[in-house]
Amino acid sequence: MKTRPVVRLIKVVLAFTLASASFVFADGPSAGKDGAKDSTTATVEQTNNLDAMRVAGEQRFRTNCGRCHAAPQKFPPRMMKTVLRHMRVRATITDEDMKLVLFYMTQ
Amino acid sequence: MLYAGQTTDFRPRQRSLLPGIVLFALILTPLFSAAQTSDSEKPIPILSGSAGAFSFVTAGQNLIDTQINPVLLVPLGDQWLIESRAEFEGQFQRPTPDEPYQGPVTKHVDYAQLDYIANPYLTLTVGRFLTPFGIFNERLYPVWIRFLQEDPLILPINTIDSDGIMFRGGFPVNAAANMNYAVYFSATSIGLSSVDTGRQVGGRMGFFFPGPRLEVGGSWQRTLQDERKNAFGFHAEWQPRRLPLTMRAEMARSFEGSGYWAEGAYRLSQVHFWQNAMRRTELAGRAQQFFVGGISPDVAANLGLLPANTRMGEIGVNYFLRDGLKAIASYGRGFSPAGNFNQWSYGIAYRWLIPLGPTGAR
Repeated sequence: MKTRPVVRLIKVVLAFTLASASFVFADGPSAGKDGAKDSTTATVEQTNNLDAMRVAGEQRFRTNCGRCHAAPQKFPPRMMKTVLRHMRVRATITDEDMKLVLFYMTQ
Repeated sequence: MLYAGQTTDFRPRQRSLLPGIVLFALILTPLFSAAQTSDSEKPIPILSGSAGAFSFVTAGQNLIDTQINPVLLVPLGDQWLIESRAEFEGQFQRPTPDEPYQGPVTKHVDYAQLDYIANPYLTLTVGRFLTPFGIFNERLYPVWIRFLQEDPLILPINTIDSDGIMFRGGFPVNAAANMNYAVYFSATSIGLSSVDTGRQVGGRMGFFFPGPRLEVGGSWQRTLQDERKNAFGFHAEWQPRRLPLTMRAEMARSFEGSGYWAEGAYRLSQVHFWQNAMRRTELAGRAQQFFVGGISPDVAANLGLLPANTRMGEIGVNYFLRDGLKAIASYGRGFSPAGNFNQWSYGIAYRWLIPLGPTGAR
């Protein structure tokens, strides 16, 4: 009987720990205690990656889509996904090209 | 005592449930949140397509052609797609100069297929699909895409629709080249003229070099009905990096006929005067030749082929009024033993895209 409060306390702590962890993993990796510096570095790297993906996406867009037709305007992401799935089949563009073009067209 | 005992027992149970409920709720919250995010990013069905109204004057005879080509795209899950295109076309002529325009309105299912994207290398297609012989039929046919509105003379060769199964895909073979392929088998459909197909097997393979933006490829088809003949085709497409220029060519050789076409289009976006108008203007040209095959003129006419050897040159201009809307005009001259002829055309082509579901934020 004396161990009950301790067990309850452990359960509560465990529950909040797991719940917190689920939030953390759901939102993706986040900074730790000494996170400010790491966070900035990660953001810069991510921005560079995003810029690189955007540039690559535009290049793939012009190379693949421009082969057959004039560049269309950008559409909302959910429409672009459908259009690109259609074009992937129709024009046999590669999986990587499709992903980069989708990234570029939905930015 | 019993009441007290029950009360005492009840309280700890209530307390012990609390962290469980909290845990359950907090764990599920991000899961539902993630599911909503996922839902909001899912592709939605789309009704797309094109429409056009054109006037073709061939050897003095005017033909008014109006057409609507709706395209339905329905994505299912992450790897499936239902896609279909129909064609409703009216072709009106005056039988004599004094009579009003009249003519047939035809309808046709160009494709109605289910695609399964199995992996980055393979997509499986079943149903009715455009026969991948050459590139014009599959990629360049829509009126809003093509440079010149007249069909190439060799387009009817081996491009009758297919009902069956197809394996296709595109993937990089190295840093400098992508390969694309399509292999198919089609059964014969009977009875309905709007869904006629041929029994055939074939394939197409192409290599695209992103560096020089060059694609070359070839097609093969074997007809498995009537005259069991092989047909071959080759295609090429090139876009130089420094110029807004596109060059394409295709040739086909078959029992029904042979020939080639080569076309180019130059967008005047690099011209330094009247830039607003020039960047919307595209000049196009095409040279083509057709040689009759081993079939009678009547059979050729049924297939949409010319009854005599023909050479033809065409020039045209496209003006893009806005995205998806262009005005066209062209002139061509044909040379044939059956008689030389002029061909004029003008008209307008439009492409639309309508979401059939919530699009989410832009």
